[in-house]
Amino acid sequence: MNLQILNKIRDTWWVFTEELKRIFRDPGVTVIFVVATLAYPFLYKAIYWREQITDIPVAVVDMSRTPESREFLHRWNAAPDIRLAYTCASMAEAEKLLRDQKVHGIIYFPHDYADQLADPLGQAHISLYCDMSSFLYMKGIYLSCNQVMLESMRNIQVDRYEKMGMGKEFAWTLVQDAPYSETALFTPTGGYGSFLIPAVLVLILHQTLFFGICMLGGTAREENKQLFRLPGHRRGYSVLRIILGRSAAYFVLYYALAAVLLVGLPRLFDIPHIGNPCDILKLMVPYLLATIFFSMSVSVFIRNRESGMVLLISSSLIFLFIAGISWPKEMIPAAWRYLSYIIPYTSGAHAFIHINSMGASLWTTRAEYYTLWILTGAYFFTACALLFITGWWTEHKAKKAA
Amino acid sequence: MRREVKQMFARPLYMFASAGVMLLSTFFFLTLMKQGAAEKMPVAVVDLDQSSISRRLCHEMQATPSVDIRLTTNSYPEAREAMQQGHIYGIFVIPEGFYSDLVAFKRPNVDFYVTNAYTVGGNTAYKQMLTMVNLISGAFQREVLRKKGLPDDVIMHRIQPVAIEGHMIANPWGNYSIYLVSTILPGILGLICIILTIFAIGFELKMRTSHDWLRTAGGNYTVAMIGKLIPYTLVYIILGIGCHLILYRFAGFPVNGSHARLMFGLLLFIFAMEAMGIFLIGCLPTLRDAISIGALYSMLGFSLSGFTYPVMNMLPAVQALSYLEPLRHYYLIYVNEALMGAPVENSLVPAFSLCAFMVASLMVAPRLHRALVYQNYPLK
Repeated sequence: MNLQILNKIRDTWWVFTEELKRIFRDPGVTVIFVVATLAYPFLYKAIYWREQITDIPVAVVDMSRTPESREFLHRWNAAPDIRLAYTCASMAEAEKLLRDQKVHGIIYFPHDYADQLADPLGQAHISLYCDMSSFLYMKGIYLSCNQVMLESMRNIQVDRYEKMGMGKEFAWTLVQDAPYSETALFTPTGGYGSFLIPAVLVLILHQTLFFGICMLGGTAREENKQLFRLPGHRRGYSVLRIILGRSAAYFVLYYALAAVLLVGLPRLFDIPHIGNPCDILKLMVPYLLATIFFSMSVSVFIRNRESGMVLLISSSLIFLFIAGISWPKEMIPAAWRYLSYIIPYTSGAHAFIHINSMGASLWTTRAEYYTLWILTGAYFFTACALLFITGWWTEHKAKKAA
Repeated sequence: MRREVKQMFARPLYMFASAGVMLLSTFFFLTLMKQGAAEKMPVAVVDLDQSSISRRLCHEMQATPSVDIRLTTNSYPEAREAMQQGHIYGIFVIPEGFYSDLVAFKRPNVDFYVTNAYTVGGNTAYKQMLTMVNLISGAFQREVLRKKGLPDDVIMHRIQPVAIEGHMIANPWGNYSIYLVSTILPGILGLICIILTIFAIGFELKMRTSHDWLRTAGGNYTVAMIGKLIPYTLVYIILGIGCHLILYRFAGFPVNGSHARLMFGLLLFIFAMEAMGIFLIGCLPTLRDAISIGALYSMLGFSLSGFTYPVMNMLPAVQALSYLEPLRHYYLIYVNEALMGAPVENSLVPAFSLCAFMVASLMVAPRLHRALVYQNYPLK
């Protein structure tokens, strides 16, 4: 009895070492598993190097030409987000600059801007035109202009109240009757890279594993190696040992990579990393296992190394969006949202962002953590079942042929 | 060519895969962002005041289209935990004694917190909370002025003496779908083009059938290449036109310039991606390597095209790199034609740049020809 168990363990060990050898003997897979996994984060960090969008060029059309409008522009120009690049005599001129992409916004003061401000009953209007080719332009231009507008507005209000005979102090109290303070929690810089890179790091782990395992599966198919069979066993019914051995090989390799990517790189890249590294490492156990078994289940359907490549590649974009990170999950139609839970990336990415970027504990984000364990169990079962069926089917065909 | 058509139909998987992936992605992205603008982002209100005015505030906030109060609590840690769990994007804290301090002109401080870990949700919640604070202030001033006996319309202008009229060019609804999908879908189509082109040529090399292929073409490399690519190109063109029609006719995305020029830009982009496919397989005649590099190259195109994060803000070296991506040039044509309605001169530079990619495919012709004749490359 003991000998039998020992034999099984020895078999698993053999599969494990054999799989590691297979990974490192296949340059294509090594490139995906190791080189791509380590190089991609640096590429993305290089692209999103600057966190804030600064100095967005804006054109000014000032028909009022008064100290009031100039003061507004002066204050706005001090904002880091924008840069008053051109002063135009007419709207047509500014529109041409916008069309030529020399500027990404236009601010327009009408003739009566100062008059309306001087009139105690007047309301002055400022028109702001934003280039919508990137939402970040709009955000930078609109929010910074709004800030200046609120500030100027308070000064004007105080002036007007004073003219009504209120004391200056009282006027200020009235204008700022409910002052506010705004705080960006967890990620004070709030840059685009701080938001996107954590999600991309988790996706890189998911997709390189997914590609690599599918490639190995495809190659084995091409070379007619039977992944469901242990040598020396007549019938290919040693599914459990094979799945355990192979997944252990991927797991050991990826656990090291995950530690580098998810614990090391945020520190190196200086993106938010306020989470507890132990919690991240604990989270990685079910995340990697679920991804490995998910990929092994899918790889059964991959017939040769290159086919299905297109499908696999475009899956990256779909996984990224369906997870509800760049597009809020509340806005995703229910059907897609439920579907997204079967992809390990969804829960893995959210849990990692909760811990790493928002300082949650593993217990706080337990919903995602348990989901990952459930996925691990489910995909372990499907991987075993599919391998068993493939094995049975191949033997069946071989028998028929004989 | 006839041989290729036969091969193409003998392996319907590829055509099925490309058309299927395209259809699936179109369907996916259009349904995913059906609602266009982010609405009803969940937020929490920490109401330490529990007064009639704080409750009214909650009601008014709930009535706005962009936020949804998921949680009303009197404990800040509870709200913070809900944020860490990803349930809410913002926290609005109404301090204790808010109402009494307000009427006593003691200027109670309102705090709000947003998360930047989720950009869109955090931003939407932030904008709405900012508006709310200014509304509180405005409402209170209105009350005070009313007590002083001023009529409402006079009050309104006192409260807001300056107004900004925002104009979002070509996308007045701030629709996210228009902004993202109109570059993502052509990008996916380009990805299909480059991978399938590499596959079509690389498969001959892998299976060592290139001699047969050249023989069919009478030993002429150019004829062989053109014959091979025509059927695929036709499929890409159909997919491209379909993609254009779906986006700009059925989904009703705006085009302020010319449909024809935008579609022409898409076709040039398709050819450029095909040309890059030839270039890659020419440089790396091993199918699997070429496909891996092609995948990496086209995935980077999405980030480097600059439709989410502007190229202007990237490091100079990365900016230079972005011009090596056909998707960048297509995006520039798209901005000119669909958004700006710019004159045709503006699109000439990106259009010629796309043509330049086709020259790249000619550069590898001698090398690829040798590979086809001598089959002198590693199989793995």
